[in-house]
Parts: sequence; C-alpha cells; structure tokens
Amino acid sequence: MLLAGGQGSRLKALTSKVAKPAVPFGGKYRIIDFPLSNCVNSGIDTVGVLTQYKPQELNAYIGSGLPWDLDVSDGGVHVLPPYVQEDEKGSWYKGTANAIYQNLDFLEQYDPEYVLILSGDHIYKMDYSQMLARHKAAGAACTISVMEVPLEEASRFGIMNVDENDNVYEFEEKPKKPKSNLASMGIYIFTWSKLRDYLIADEKDEKSSNDFGKNVIPAMLAAGEVMTAYRFRGYWKDVGTIDSLWNANMDMLAPNGSLDIDDPDWPIYARVSARPPHFTGGKAEITHSLVTSGDEIYGTVDHSVLFHSVTVEEGATVRYSILMPGAVVKKGAVVEYAIVAERSVIGEDAHVGGDRTDEEDWGIAVVAQDLKVGDGAQVASGAMITRNVKGVMA
Amino acid sequence: MNDLHGIIFAYRESPELRELTRIRNACSVPYGGRYRLIDFALSNLVNAGVSDVGIIVYNSYQSLLDHVGSGKDWDLSRKRGGLRILPPFSFSGKHHGNRYQGRMDALAGVYSYLQDIRQDYVILSSGDLAANLPIAEAFERHLATHADITAVTASKTTADPRLTTFFTTDAEGRVTDVEVGPAAPTGQAGLETYILSKSLLLTLVDQCASHDVPSFSQGVLQNNTRLDMRTFLFDGYAAQIQTVVGYYARSMELLDPAVRSSLFRTDRPIRTKDQANPSVYYGPEARSMNSLVSDGSIVEGTVINSILSRGVRVEKGAVVENCILMQRTAVQPGATLRHVIADKNVRINPGRMLMGHETYPLVIPKNEIV
Repeated sequence: MLLAGGQGSRLKALTSKVAKPAVPFGGKYRIIDFPLSNCVNSGIDTVGVLTQYKPQELNAYIGSGLPWDLDVSDGGVHVLPPYVQEDEKGSWYKGTANAIYQNLDFLEQYDPEYVLILSGDHIYKMDYSQMLARHKAAGAACTISVMEVPLEEASRFGIMNVDENDNVYEFEEKPKKPKSNLASMGIYIFTWSKLRDYLIADEKDEKSSNDFGKNVIPAMLAAGEVMTAYRFRGYWKDVGTIDSLWNANMDMLAPNGSLDIDDPDWPIYARVSARPPHFTGGKAEITHSLVTSGDEIYGTVDHSVLFHSVTVEEGATVRYSILMPGAVVKKGAVVEYAIVAERSVIGEDAHVGGDRTDEEDWGIAVVAQDLKVGDGAQVASGAMITRNVKGVMA
Repeated sequence: MNDLHGIIFAYRESPELRELTRIRNACSVPYGGRYRLIDFALSNLVNAGVSDVGIIVYNSYQSLLDHVGSGKDWDLSRKRGGLRILPPFSFSGKHHGNRYQGRMDALAGVYSYLQDIRQDYVILSSGDLAANLPIAEAFERHLATHADITAVTASKTTADPRLTTFFTTDAEGRVTDVEVGPAAPTGQAGLETYILSKSLLLTLVDQCASHDVPSFSQGVLQNNTRLDMRTFLFDGYAAQIQTVVGYYARSMELLDPAVRSSLFRTDRPIRTKDQANPSVYYGPEARSMNSLVSDGSIVEGTVINSILSRGVRVEKGAVVENCILMQRTAVQPGATLRHVIADKNVRINPGRMLMGHETYPLVIPKNEIV
C-alpha cells in the first residue's frame, strides 16, 4: 500500500499542479517509480496506490501499470482515492492509518498474510522480500525499516530504541535526547490480521490523529506486540524539500553513484516518452551531466540533470541545474543552481539563479511549469517563480 | 480507422547489408540509435489507427520476434486482432526451393491469414523503410479517388535505382508506366507501400499463383493495364536501407535537424521496444558534438558525428568519429574509431585504432572483440 496522497507543500511551486510522487526525478523517472519498481523487483504483484491531492497526473501516469509489469489480471496496480461510503459518510484521508483503514475492503478482497506500507516520497532501492523474511523469522506483528543516522541529527527523525535482537521496545518521535540513531524510514510490514484489529481500534479512538508513527505503532508497542527493526544500508533520500530534491538529483551524477540505477538485476521502470535519442550540436559542451531522449543540446551543460525533450540553444549555459521535460533555454541565457519545471522557457540572455555563496538568502531558484522568463530577465538565487517574468529591453 | 489492415513484408534477404544481416533480417537492423527499421512501418500503421497487423517472415526472424514481442510497445497486443507474426505456414515451396521468390509468393504463403482479414482494405508495406508516412491521408485519398491500387511514392530518392520501382503518371495522376530497376530512372520512386481492397488482393494472389508469377512488380504492377493505379506522393524524408554504404549514409543524414524533424514528428511518434535504460551520463572530460546518443550510454571520451545505440560505453581518452555503434558496444580507454559500424556487444580493447572510409565503412560483426 503506497501512500501517495500527500500534498508535498514543501516542494511549493513544483507540486502546485501534481502530487509529490508524480514530481519528475533523476532524468527519466518520477518519484513513485522507485517504490513501484522496488515492489515489482521484490516480487510483489499487488499494489494499492492511495491518492488524494491533485491525483489526475499521477493516475494517468500509473495507468494500467504497464511500465512496471503490473498490468496483470490477478492483482496489479490499483489507484485508491477516498470515496463515498454508505450513508454518504466518506471523508478525505485523515492520516496515514486512516487512509489504510478506509481501504479495508480492498485489502480484504485480496486477504493477504502481510501488508507492506510505503510512502511515495523517497528515493532508494530496497528488496522488500528480505524485510519480509526478517518479519517472518522474528514472528513479528510489525517490522519497521530503519537506517542509522548521525546521532546529532537523530532528533529530526522518529527514533527506534531496540534491544540486542533488534526488537523495538520504544519509539520516540523527534526526541530531544535520542537514545539510539536508528531512524524509521516510514516503511512498515504488518501481519495483516494484527494490523486490521489495530486500525479498527485506532479509528474508534476520537483523540487519535490516525497516523502510523504517532498512534498505531505506539499502541502496538504498548500492547506488547513483537515489533522488530529491519536495518537498511544503502542510499535513501527523502525528497520532500526543494533542497533535498535538488541534492538527490545531483547525487545521480556521482560516478559509481551511491544509487546504481543501471543495475540489470534491479531496474527502475518508468513510463517513457517516444522521442528519438538526444542530439548534441556542433558547439555543444556537455560534462558531468545526465541527458536523455528528445533533448537538443547546442550550448553548454555542466553538472546538470536534463529530462526528455529539453532544448539548450547555442551560447546558453546550464550548470548545477535540473531541467524538467520540455524546458527550453534560449540563446545566451544562463541557468545555474536552479530547477526549471515542465515546458517553461528561459528567454534569450536571461539569467536564472546564482552561483553558490555563503549568504543566508542564497538558494536554489525554481521556475514553475509552463512559464516564460522573458529575454534579458534576471531571476535571483532562491527565487520561486510562479508567474511569467517580463523581458528586459536591451 | 479500422477498415485498413496492415501487412509488413519482413522476409527479404538483403545480402548487400553483409555482416549486418548475418544474424538478422534487414527489418531488425538497428537504425537511428534506439530504433530497429521495423519500428517505422509499425508506428506508421498504428499512428494511422490501424489495429491489425501481420508481419510476413521467412527465416532469421528470431531477432525480430525478440524486438516486437507481443506488440505491446505499439499497443498492438489486443484481444481481437493486433499483431501477428506470419511464418510460411501455407508455403509449399513447390516451385522455387526454400525461400519466397517475391511478394506474391509470400502472400500465397500466408493465404489463409489473408482470407480471414476482417477489414475491407489492406496496406502492403516494407519492414526496411525508414519514413514517417501519413498512412491515414494516403488511405483517405485511396477511397476518394476510387483507385484500384494506390502506390505511395517519393519525388526524389536516395535509394539504389537497381532496387527501386519507378512510376510515371498522366495529368490525372493515373499510373501510365511502371519501371522496375531501370538504368535511367524517370518518374516517381516507389516506397514499396500499396493500398488496395482485400478482395482485389485475394484475386491478384490467386491470379499470380495460377500463372506461377511470384513477383508483385511483374504480376501486378506491370501486368494489369485494366487496373486503375494511382500514386500518393510523399514529400518527407524516406530511407530505404539496402546496402552497407547506403545504411551508413542514411544513418549519417539523421544528424541533419531537418531530417530528424521529418522522421520523428511529435504528432506521429515512432515507437520502439522499451528497455528501462537510465539517461546518458557524460563524464567530466566528455565531448559530444554533432551526434545522436541513446539512453543507457556512458560517454567519458570524445564522440563526434556519430550515432550511439543504447548502452554504449565510450571510455576516457577514446575517440569515436563518424561511427555507428550499436547496443552495448564498449570502446575502451584510448581506442580510436573512424568510419566504423560496430554491431551489438562489440568490444574495442584499449588503444586500438580502427578506420574505415565513408565509401567503405568498416563493419565489426556482433560480439567481436578487437
């Protein structure tokens, strides 16, 4: 069960028209491709995607599930929006646990032994079948995927305190004085019969905010259920903010990167556009960058991630930036430390973003989708552009 | 447009493609980086709304089967109709041994399939033609003119005239003369694409079989003065891949933006098998100029005037100039290639230097290590 209903408000202009899991990532993907591909590669063939906020593009993207081989007759991928229940009692998903509760009927239709709960805003590769093996071996009611974080940062996370067998005896949400450095990754496996009971009980509790981390996990701990931690080692990034999204994209450039996306045994699938190979013009200079189908590069591109159908004209420079599908950078324009969203056009000689400085107001500049930054216009570092910017007369 | 049925001829042996067709049929020769030639014929049909397509094969079609699969990537994996691969199930080979002698022979070889076609019209096309044809428009014209046969033609051609059919027309657009492989070509060059009704097709196949004429050119085009034959002139880019030199030249033409925009239109996309490749990574010292590079490739050296298929590696200090490198070919550090066509999975060891010429590109067969 993939929780994909969050608004992603910290991504601001990038999620004004789409849900966070549908935000483009890493040149060819959207964020949701990572958990979906992980499911398929782990041998999971039935996936529910719980949507709520701006679901249209996400729904269209998932479609029949064909790119992930989830277009099967028994199981496959199901988009699950909130719906009107009997007596017109339906409501929006109140919290993560409530979202699953509202889909009890869906789960009962498949009557699984175990349920995996995922969120749609993390970039990582993980074999859930190993986590399930741990869950079964420990005879647990719930297994929580955790990773070690630096102790000084532990107070930003939900922290699991474990015994010598990695069984969880205490859960602390953002503790001031963390006792361990094992942070919850928001990935849970539950034994379905147990989860069902706790979800029903949680729903009856009017004081509950119906959240897994805040309510269900603590309730299970209090009742003495066997709760175990599954230690994950590897690349894992939350891409919930502009900075973390930019950083995680830049990580894709690391040679022998921490996240190997070219692994034939663990492919990351995506719905791709039918565009020809990218073209590099006679004066193109491309270094340390990702470039993909349909791109036409005549200018300079360095330290950047380009999605499909992007144009960089002659004399234009793109550095330390992310250009989403269909973005155009016109002649002589400079785009640096910036994210340009789908189909936006940066006019001739315009300048978007600024070189990294130590000043406090420095940041990644963002141009939202379908906008025009006029010829010669200047967009400062850290700016968030949500409407057209007029050009400057030469 | 559900009244048109697609037939793609993919049986032809193309000896002049030499090493490139040693292990495959011309239709599955890689072209334009991420495509196989048959992608164009398939996409043209699908873009015109054709839902049923039969591909006529004879031998060495394992590579083709692997590429088209169930037809899923072209939305041709359907409950009713969709894609069918047609091996020579009704072919007796009684006259000419173990290969089709011509298109009429090939059609007779799948006769029972033709009888079961549920559409009233059929378009015959060739699997080794790279062009973005407006089939829907040609079909509309065919219906409007009430012609018996409409031949899709080009005003100018880069194809070898010895292997091409030329059509001369009168003022009303009726074909008055058909020349096959003439020494001095005149008129419009045929693109081996014909629209006709199913009933006429079956009649013609019967006629040719009973007269023992295996060739469509001889049996139909040049032997039927009673038929109203017209042309549909296509003015976009068309590449017929017949020889190694032609393959090399037609490939290099793709570096021209005008050619690419004629071939890769966004309103009629050319689809191909999806392979889940990541983007191309360019290393810190990479150079890539005037080239087409497909996803899954890693470029750390220099690439100039070249076409790279998916999953190609050009390592540090390697130079690739005027080359076509097919899937998963690896050029190791310091190697230099000029005017080379490297087939799939070729490995060029460090420091090797290989050079062909524009008029005689060096072809390295699949899986070779240099």
